[in-house]
Amino acid sequence: MARKKTVVISLLGTTLDAGSGTKRWDRWRPTVSLCQHEDLLVHRVELLHGRRFNSLAELIQKDIAQVSPETEVKTWPIEFNNPWDLEEVYGGLLDFARRYPFQPDKEEYLVHITTGTHIAQICMFLLTETRYFPGRLIQTSPPKRGDKPGGPGSYTVIDLDLSKYDSIASRFNREQREGLSFLKSGIDTQNPAFNQLIERIEQVAIGSSDPILLTGPTGSGKSRLAKKLHELKKSRRQVEGDFVEVNCATIRGDGAMSALFGHVRGAFTGALEARPGLLRKAHCGILFLDEIGELALDEQAMLLRAIEEKSFYPVGSDKEVRSDFQLIAGTNRPLLHEVAEGRFREDLLARINIWTFQLPGLKERPEDMAPNLAYELEQCSRAMNLHLTFSKEAREQYLSFATSADALWLGNFRDFNAAIRRMATLAKGGRIGVPEVNEEIERLRRSWSHGYTIAPGGNSLAVDTLLTRVLGPKRALELDAFDSVQLEEVLRVCGAAPSLSEAGRRLFNISRQQKKTANDADRLRKYLARFGLEWNKAHSA
Amino acid sequence: MLTIDGAWGEGGGQILRSSLALAMVRQVPFRIVNIRAKRKRPGLMRQHLAAVSAAAVVSGAEVKGAEVGSQELTFRPGPLRPGQYTFSVGSAGSATLVLQAVLPALMVTQGAWALTLEGGTHNPLAPPFDALAKAFLPLLARMGCAVQTVLERPGFYPAGGGRFTVRLKGGAKLSSLLLLERGETRRREVSALVAGLPKAIAQRELASAARKLKWDAVCFRIEAIQAAHGPGNVVLAEVGSEHLTEIFTGFGEKGRSAEAVAERMADEVLEYLAAQVPVGRHLADQLLLPMALAAGGAFRTLTPTEHTRTQVEVLRLFGCGEVRLVEESATCWRVEVERAAW
Repeated sequence: MARKKTVVISLLGTTLDAGSGTKRWDRWRPTVSLCQHEDLLVHRVELLHGRRFNSLAELIQKDIAQVSPETEVKTWPIEFNNPWDLEEVYGGLLDFARRYPFQPDKEEYLVHITTGTHIAQICMFLLTETRYFPGRLIQTSPPKRGDKPGGPGSYTVIDLDLSKYDSIASRFNREQREGLSFLKSGIDTQNPAFNQLIERIEQVAIGSSDPILLTGPTGSGKSRLAKKLHELKKSRRQVEGDFVEVNCATIRGDGAMSALFGHVRGAFTGALEARPGLLRKAHCGILFLDEIGELALDEQAMLLRAIEEKSFYPVGSDKEVRSDFQLIAGTNRPLLHEVAEGRFREDLLARINIWTFQLPGLKERPEDMAPNLAYELEQCSRAMNLHLTFSKEAREQYLSFATSADALWLGNFRDFNAAIRRMATLAKGGRIGVPEVNEEIERLRRSWSHGYTIAPGGNSLAVDTLLTRVLGPKRALELDAFDSVQLEEVLRVCGAAPSLSEAGRRLFNISRQQKKTANDADRLRKYLARFGLEWNKAHSA
Repeated sequence: MLTIDGAWGEGGGQILRSSLALAMVRQVPFRIVNIRAKRKRPGLMRQHLAAVSAAAVVSGAEVKGAEVGSQELTFRPGPLRPGQYTFSVGSAGSATLVLQAVLPALMVTQGAWALTLEGGTHNPLAPPFDALAKAFLPLLARMGCAVQTVLERPGFYPAGGGRFTVRLKGGAKLSSLLLLERGETRRREVSALVAGLPKAIAQRELASAARKLKWDAVCFRIEAIQAAHGPGNVVLAEVGSEHLTEIFTGFGEKGRSAEAVAERMADEVLEYLAAQVPVGRHLADQLLLPMALAAGGAFRTLTPTEHTRTQVEVLRLFGCGEVRLVEESATCWRVEVERAAW
């Protein structure tokens, strides 16, 4: 295969390349010097110059022919009224680049950036970086002390493709590895699918500020990952602002609008002070909306606009405010299904569904039990200020249970962490032995068999609640404590009441007295609908 | 195939040129590896490529790896094709070195050759045209191959642009060369050449040379060159003896004083004169190859340089007759070249 020809694109240096008479050979002339290097064979020079400098260009052409018979010099007219005008120079050079018949498969191009005004050099750089000049830069310099006097000096070829530089590439790789490890909280996870997922998330998070949608079962670590992504982006100076986290299930109802978008003073009764809202707090940062499926339709519409326009109206305000944030949304519900049911806006889903990552449940990552165990143990040790260890048999026994089919891990990491915290608390002197493990295995088994889980901190939901019967253990777990207590009581009343209206009367027994028309039934129906429940189901529980 | 280690010895370029010459003479292919491997900029440089391409043209050779920076080259020569050729080499390369690579093969090939060589004619680290014309070629003529050469204009580093022509009839039977004595000294001359530079440089050089050499004033002359295409300066000493002429050269370059250039040259002349040997160091390197192709011979010279030893090694690799370097005294060595067995 024939080697590619080397073609230099150079602006005639009206100062540096100038000179006539024998004396010109005493001077270092960059464009001529390019063709005098023993280890650089230039097959062709494309010499760009203004018409005023025709005779200088001809002289350079002749001198190059003499010092380098292998080199052909072609001249190209290019006129600049003001060679210090970036717009004009860039435009002129861009026109040249567009017109020039580049043949990158046959020729390799070196763009000479030593001649011309600094503006011209900047333009040459920009055009090379953007590949209008599909080549590398070449910079020439005069002989230094120690170089051959009167010689061509030296040259440096600069490839702007940074991936070609080993040390830079390895630094990128190292940073990426560090980034990945960081996203995984330093846990040396082994599950290939999970590791691949994290790698992709890192790539997306670093490369874009588009919304990211994290799906996955409760306790799979969506919130922790979102927080880590913020820290990573902050350490890379890609975001400046804060991490603002909100669980949409907790801001349902009247206060939701104001919580998210803020309100002005006096916007409604009780709005004594202005409130900036969470979106504005997330300006230049990351807004993590967990359980985004719980957001009401009105708020969804506002949110969509806020993402698209980067601005919105706070409640009661006729003045738009700006907030530029990256949205990370979390959900454990299939949003497509929610769209079909009319509970989630299709356009909002389309907007946040650019990068969707499904976090696997703990059960799908058996390889990661051991590294997570080590990590959680260390976290507990730190929190309890105690050096926690497992005895060898205890550790083996626990891991073998954790990876077995018996271990359902319904609450994923929530269960996993809570289990370790409980064992740590019960262990004598920080040493977790077989008895503690056996006890914990029993506890976990029992909880899963009853269809409930043990929440972090040991707060357990009642075993056989109305809630778990009506919603199923999984959905019951996804409720906030606030909602679950309330709903449990509502379901009890519904079960005892003969009709929807009667149940409503009993539940809204105080507030109904202040209303002109009783709408208890409607209020109750709407309340139940928020949990996807209808009267019949609530009543028969 | 004959494989040559280009990292060996001192002159990577010299190994290459001698190999090209011998491959064409013997019509054998060769491969050279590790070309200039230990250098800061390893591999073939443009001046080497100029020699390779000239050799390829006159012999219709098949060449692989002839690229700047290449550390491996394969050269498979074809039959020599007498005729007219022009070879140009960039300023950093010497046209006389290009000639060195091809001339031996032309000498032994029947036919008329006319070469025009363009580039540097007076480059540092290469025999200047004057040494070629006055010292080397007359000895070839004595061996039976008359080579005419005319300098049209000199070319100096860095501008180059020199040109000379070479004519010869190849294929004559070459006789042996015996140069054990130089005989009485008949001519002594120092000329300082200046092109496009003040004459004062030449005057200072001559004054310095005169102080060292203590020759008559008539021996010193200035030559102002108008024809050159760039500035340049050399100071040349010619010692014409009964049996041969030797040339010594000082190359003026930026950053070196005219005095230093001339004094160094004068020192070489004095060393040569004191040693009573006929052949100087550079000429010794050049003579080995043609002598090996001819009927051998012997000469006396100064202590062999690393270049000379490298040359001996290359001759051995290509199956030439043996070359013996015999030390006769601290300053006098006898070089014996055997007739090749082929």
